[in-house]
Amino acid sequence: MNITCQERDRIFLDGTPEEWAALELHAEACRECGEELHAWKNLSIAAKEMREEPDSPQLWSRIEASLNQHASQKKPRSIWQRLWNWTPLSVGWQTALAAAMVLALAISGGYLWTHRGNNARPEEGTAALLQSPALREVEKSERAYEQAIEHLETEAKPQLQSGDSPLVASYREKLMVLDGAIDELRMQAGQNPSNAHLRRQLLAMYQEKQQTLQDVLETKR
Amino acid sequence: MGAVGLTLPWGARISSVEGEGDSRVASSEVQQQEVPGGSGNPEDAAIATLCLGGDHVGYERLFRWQGTRMKNLARHLLGTQSDAEDAVQETFLKIQRSVGTFRGQSSFVTWAFRILVNTCHDLRRSRVRRKENATGDSEELPPSQEPRAAVTHPTLKLALERALVRLTQHQRDVFLLYEVEGFRHSEIANMLEITEAASKNTLFQAKKNLRGMLEPPSRVREVGL
Repeated sequence: MNITCQERDRIFLDGTPEEWAALELHAEACRECGEELHAWKNLSIAAKEMREEPDSPQLWSRIEASLNQHASQKKPRSIWQRLWNWTPLSVGWQTALAAAMVLALAISGGYLWTHRGNNARPEEGTAALLQSPALREVEKSERAYEQAIEHLETEAKPQLQSGDSPLVASYREKLMVLDGAIDELRMQAGQNPSNAHLRRQLLAMYQEKQQTLQDVLETKR
Repeated sequence: MGAVGLTLPWGARISSVEGEGDSRVASSEVQQQEVPGGSGNPEDAAIATLCLGGDHVGYERLFRWQGTRMKNLARHLLGTQSDAEDAVQETFLKIQRSVGTFRGQSSFVTWAFRILVNTCHDLRRSRVRRKENATGDSEELPPSQEPRAAVTHPTLKLALERALVRLTQHQRDVFLLYEVEGFRHSEIANMLEITEAASKNTLFQAKKNLRGMLEPPSRVREVGL
């Protein structure tokens, strides 16, 4: 096999053993290729010398201790604890979530304060509320939002199922926790449909789920 | 830093190594060294089974088998022994946390190294953020190499380490994984979530760049630099 100088880079990139042998032969007669070949090889030889055996006798003990500590901390937690302690949730998100909850509490408190007169005849108030067009509107919007998120979830499903990177695994875990929280809140909201605080919490969970699904879809791009 | 400061004693190196052969260079993927941790390796499978079963012996075996290699890679990616040890420790914790998601699509070692590389990048990024906060400078810092004990060819090794810092992160990752740690392109592709062709191409570009940086002064003068 005859090799020309022009083929040198291609062989460096992805040459077959035969092509490398031919290049070696060619390099014996070609000064430039000989220099390049030696320089190319030298990089590999120098790189091998970078392999070291750093001495750190305590490292395994440290790792073992942290593995044991983590294993002992692994006990069943509530959905809220799991969501709160979910590591990839940034401090920013945690703050935003806390702020949303405080806001929801303030609004629901204000609502209860301004409507405290209705408590005089609770059965009338509840009946009126249950038939309220505003509540129906809220429920309708919730259903539409929920359906839109389900579409987003369908779109992200292949990415979630096929990816095995720690990041995707982490998203899967977060979505599972969020779904659990959403189910819990929906059940509570079903028992107490007029509770604005619950509805806002539910909305915050849906928004978090939407953002997570968007992040999953982002990883595909 | 000019090329002169990175000059390698090419002539001396060539004469001292000629005839040794070079499987990493001369035959690319075909005559690869025997790399521990390839898929199908019984030790790899045994460790994966133990770790999936929650048995700490699996982690210990992984550390005894690949810990040095992990520390070495982390040290080259992060620059210091202390950061490297932190990265390896964090990697083991991440493996423990997410071992349930391991599906055997690659070898367990390859999967572990993927986590290690990502952990090193995260640590580097957080180090850069800390530095930014301290100085207000947003420029990314390359890993700074701390002084090490003398080796067979300290000048050559030092020059290569200094040149590596000037590569892109991606080129540095591929060069270290292939040339220093001895992984195959197929394994690197799996770790970095790229194609084998991209891994080969990145290695080629990395070596081209290093070759340019480590050009002997005479040759630099010849090309008018």
